Amino acid sequence: MKTALSFAMDFGAYAIKGGTKYYAWLLFLAFFILVGSYTAYIQFTQGLIVTGATDQITLESFFASFVFTAHVAAAAVLVVAPGYLYHRKDMKELAVIGEIVAMVFVATGITFVLFHMGRPDRTWHIIPGLGYMNFPNSMLAYDTIVLNVYLILNSIGVVYILYKKYIGKFEAKQLAIWFRPIVFLAIAWGPLIHIVTAFVLASNARVGTWATAVLPFAFLSMAGASGPALIVLIFLLLRKCTKLEINDSVINLMTTIIAWSLGIIILVFAAEIFTLLYPGTEHADSLRYIMFGHNGLNHYVLWFWGVILALVGSFAALLFSKVRHSYDRWLPLVCVVVFVAILMEKPMVLVFPAFSPTPLGEYTEYHVTMIEFFNVLFVWAIGFLSLTLILKGAIGILTGEVRHDKSSAASQSGA
Amino acid sequence: MSEEKNEKMQDADEVVQGRRDFLKHVCTSSAAALVAATTPSEAVDNASNPDADVTVAEFFQGHFLLMSEEEKLQAIARLEKRYSAQYSKKTTVSNAPAPDGVLFGYALDISKCIGCRRCVHACVKENNQSRNDPEVQWIQVMKMPKGNIAFTADQLDKGYPEKSEFGDYGVQVGGNAYKTAGLSTEDAQNYYNDELVPDKDFFYMPVQCQQCEKPPCVKACPVRATFRDHAGVVLIDYNWCIGCRMCQLACPYHARRFNWGEPHLPAEEMNPKTHYFGNRPRMRGVMEKCTFCAQRTREGRNPACQEVCPVGARKFGNLLDPDSDVRRVLATKRVFRFKEEAGTYPKFFYYIG
Amino acid sequence: MDFLHKSPAIVALALCGVLATGVSAVNSAHAAEEKPAAAQNAQPVTDCFESRIGYSSVTRVENADPKYGYPNVKCSQTTGAVLWWGDPFDGTIPMGEMPDISDSTRGDFDHAVVKPREPQLQYFNMGPNGCETCHNGKMVPFPKDSKPRLIGMHQDIVENSLKLMHGRGALWCLNCHSATHRNHLIDRQGNEISFNQPQKLCGGCHGENYIDWRAGVHGKRIGSWATGGKKRWWVCTECHNPHTVQKARFNQLKPESPPPLPRGMKNADYERAGDAKH
Repeated sequence: MKTALSFAMDFGAYAIKGGTKYYAWLLFLAFFILVGSYTAYIQFTQGLIVTGATDQITLESFFASFVFTAHVAAAAVLVVAPGYLYHRKDMKELAVIGEIVAMVFVATGITFVLFHMGRPDRTWHIIPGLGYMNFPNSMLAYDTIVLNVYLILNSIGVVYILYKKYIGKFEAKQLAIWFRPIVFLAIAWGPLIHIVTAFVLASNARVGTWATAVLPFAFLSMAGASGPALIVLIFLLLRKCTKLEINDSVINLMTTIIAWSLGIIILVFAAEIFTLLYPGTEHADSLRYIMFGHNGLNHYVLWFWGVILALVGSFAALLFSKVRHSYDRWLPLVCVVVFVAILMEKPMVLVFPAFSPTPLGEYTEYHVTMIEFFNVLFVWAIGFLSLTLILKGAIGILTGEVRHDKSSAASQSGA
Repeated sequence: MSEEKNEKMQDADEVVQGRRDFLKHVCTSSAAALVAATTPSEAVDNASNPDADVTVAEFFQGHFLLMSEEEKLQAIARLEKRYSAQYSKKTTVSNAPAPDGVLFGYALDISKCIGCRRCVHACVKENNQSRNDPEVQWIQVMKMPKGNIAFTADQLDKGYPEKSEFGDYGVQVGGNAYKTAGLSTEDAQNYYNDELVPDKDFFYMPVQCQQCEKPPCVKACPVRATFRDHAGVVLIDYNWCIGCRMCQLACPYHARRFNWGEPHLPAEEMNPKTHYFGNRPRMRGVMEKCTFCAQRTREGRNPACQEVCPVGARKFGNLLDPDSDVRRVLATKRVFRFKEEAGTYPKFFYYIG
Repeated sequence: MDFLHKSPAIVALALCGVLATGVSAVNSAHAAEEKPAAAQNAQPVTDCFESRIGYSSVTRVENADPKYGYPNVKCSQTTGAVLWWGDPFDGTIPMGEMPDISDSTRGDFDHAVVKPREPQLQYFNMGPNGCETCHNGKMVPFPKDSKPRLIGMHQDIVENSLKLMHGRGALWCLNCHSATHRNHLIDRQGNEISFNQPQKLCGGCHGENYIDWRAGVHGKRIGSWATGGKKRWWVCTECHNPHTVQKARFNQLKPESPPPLPRGMKNADYERAGDAKH
């Protein structure tokens, strides 16, 4: 018990220590949290009317962002899997970083869902026993289960690994027998949360664009691009700013995954566009709307072509080994482009335009409000703040700067 | 809901009840604070709210179908008290059950409908929808071109591919393509604001909840706040809805409406004869939709939209009774279901009379 | 039409007509039509019409149903149309004897009620004896036969009596209006029929619609949805004007206001862009 307490204390003490840039970054996030607290207060007291959502376009930026967080959370297994499934030594050490990303992003996603709900105060209604969960009928019930289980699995993994490293007992023999099954389950669970999230969307008769079998593939490939893009950025940052050792081989593997995920995304887009446009049935209406607009409504047209251009461009760029190995210049740039393109694809391509035409033939545009925008930033800021602090603490343990035997001294100085 | 299911839910109820009691005892005080924090605008807006206990008790209220008879009566009494104070008039909240041996159905004559939208506004008068910001309407009327003006002679030789130096392959896409005609949502106008109706080149089709026999919304609801009663009507427990809008996503008829903000219902326009699952005033953040006027139809009266239709295009009744209006329509007219390809088996029929 | 009520002298003159029946306009409803739609929060509209302007009018009475504090009707601020009935049987009388047609569509008339048509007919209500105030054989002599002839009265109902817009030349006023008992309609067999039961007359020719109406398929009934329940039936002349069917089966009417635009949308022009294509 005492050890656990000192673990938490040391972890926390290390996490909040850093240089000027570190504090600047924390302050930057804190600003959005401060503003966001106010806008969140407005939303929770006045309702979703302060967002741009309507009966025609019923999902707002929160749900779109949730899908994106699911991308990244699911993709984190790509860091965990090579170490545990393929026994890559360079990756095994870093697996915990993947799990931290998964944990934080799934938690961020759940927060987005709370913002999406009209009555967050009634969340308890879905807890079986206390309320009533419509299982096995409702896809959202499945999603609730898989997201929370994923959160728990990763939290257990992260805490257990870090704790074991902290007390210096991380040899295979010293690990509990349940640990490996948990890790493997978490690896399998990553794609699962994403497939279920895709099914939450694909199961709706109202939105024809989503009623497609490629949706899970599109989601997984976008996860494969956006998640590693973020992880590459984190890795490049970590090995520049910390003592953590990350080999080029790790970055290269991630880059390869990004490149070929982008390739699959392009194929999925092309297949979807062909399958819809060639027969030109009513199922193509929404796609035509986003590609070419409808009677003067062309809010999404530029977004669509912009995203397509960014994805194709990034894919083409990553085919050049010069770009792939330009660790301090081109590679991070491409990763940022991929991350932002897929982030923006969610609301502006996947979610909002899919609602036009409505079942009654209405075409509408979504207008994001300022409050909604700052609430999205609020949740992102909380997510990135948690990610920063947890990663910082974890690096202290991984690099050996935070250890149990030093704990008493550290905690004393901290106090 | 069948008897069997009812029993099952009664059983579940005991379990749920035990836990809820526990929760109640443990955190009544903290929950009061929580509720005050999450619903402050209700508390502020409804300055006449009789007491905060009502809100707290409503917060802990379970699914209405899972309640015991006693709990149901308590819940009803709470609501009547709250509404009566809030709207300064005696309000009744009925708990009348759906009639036995009845399957409610509706038929609408699209050859008669003139697009006057009286049904839309009759529904609003009856069902206590928010009047503004957000303005909520459960019925939407589509105006669709008949097709008599879709074809023009000057387009006869136009089309694709055109004759060119590469040769004449014959027009494969005629010049009169891309013009909708007849029953199609493609060029439907939902916001038409004509001086007079009906427009001679158009016909009209009102759409509301189709009361599907296989409702996708019920399947999608993660907490079963929306369900099908044993007369076949899909209803919502507004106090159980969590506002996730999965039902709205699932509905292929755009029939569900969400209370995006605090509903604004002027006291003088409030209809004080309400039903728990019907037209009682809703709160912010919950879904609502046509209930076939549960407060009326469960007591034998026709829905408001049926009563108002000036051309008698709307027929309502019991699908199990061969002498009912709706069954007679089904027996003698050309009938279809809207979006039958959605596989929802609506009990709302359209016909050509 | 207003002048008829205002000036007794003109009224007396007008009473000397031949034809005085049908669905003459009731002026109060026009007032509602002229009200600006913008008056959203104004006082409730009290002068209303039921199906169409001029066919039947209602005056809103507050607290007609004390149990719920309901008015008898709620009317549209935009058009003056009745949108909602507090009591569907407000102002109704029993439908009266209906012939039994022994086929599958036999009507469900046990608890049928109707709103009497007589109070809605303008000329009918001008004297103490209804139409017979003038058409008593003395002030206006009874016509000798039912041959069409030009009539100088009631031109507001039938513009040109030689061109009656019903029956395409095969019918004339006295085929439906009793020559000697002008307060009644008359069918082909000489049976006198109350203005409150026009279905008995119309049904003689319009058999198919009549059967549909009896079955509840044609026309409108409000009140109970259950078979055998109490229903208010709409009779033929509450919706159809028998004097003008040939010219304009129904006149266009003013619709209620459109739904609110989705938040953020400025107009719905993109919907009407489809019109331009035509």
